[in-house]
Amino acid sequence: MEKTLEVLNSLERAGVLRRYAIGGAMGATFYTEPVLTFDLDVFVVLPESPGGLLTLSPLYEALRARGFAEEGEFVTIEGVPVQFLPVYNELLQEALVEARDVLYDSTPARVLRAEHLAAVAVQTGRLKDRERVRLLNEQTDMDLEYLLGILRRHGLEQRWNDWTG
Amino acid sequence: MERLDGLKVEAERLFTAKERRRRDLASLPFPQKVQIVVQLQRMAAPLFKKRGLDVRAWRLDR
Repeated sequence: MEKTLEVLNSLERAGVLRRYAIGGAMGATFYTEPVLTFDLDVFVVLPESPGGLLTLSPLYEALRARGFAEEGEFVTIEGVPVQFLPVYNELLQEALVEARDVLYDSTPARVLRAEHLAAVAVQTGRLKDRERVRLLNEQTDMDLEYLLGILRRHGLEQRWNDWTG
Repeated sequence: MERLDGLKVEAERLFTAKERRRRDLASLPFPQKVQIVVQLQRMAAPLFKKRGLDVRAWRLDR
């Protein structure tokens, strides 16, 4: 995992990514009890290509040059299947900006804040997202003021209340 | 009835202990949690494979 994070950091330093942060089940596991997952979801802000397009192709090319080829929707980096997810809405844009810089042993990494993980789960709305919200709500000390601000800005208050009420 | 009340108390004690254990797990350092996730993957992968899903446990470096 540490080597996987080193590769992500090197991609960011090289400008292949503008910014990354771990999300999904592993992002949640940073804050909650460990939950089963087989992939590492990494949200990325991509640099604009000369034509103004945002595409994962340059990222995949850079990974191939480092010896990591994509397999379907994943790229296995140092033994860990990584799914790169470009930020696709304003909530994720905000989540990436506000993501926390952390250390994994001695390796720097970045993880979405618990409040953003909860909001993203509410927005995505699947059964497993509901379970993630429950775990985050029960096992982390989320900043509720901050969370309510996120939910309000992105029109997610109603579902949050339905799920947690 | 008294016997049921006794069992209810015992069940509540077990649920409380279980909840405490989950909170203890949540407070572990992230690298330790990743090790646990990999253990879960090793246990679950054969079951997923039997259902036709191509999954494998992570190969951690250090």
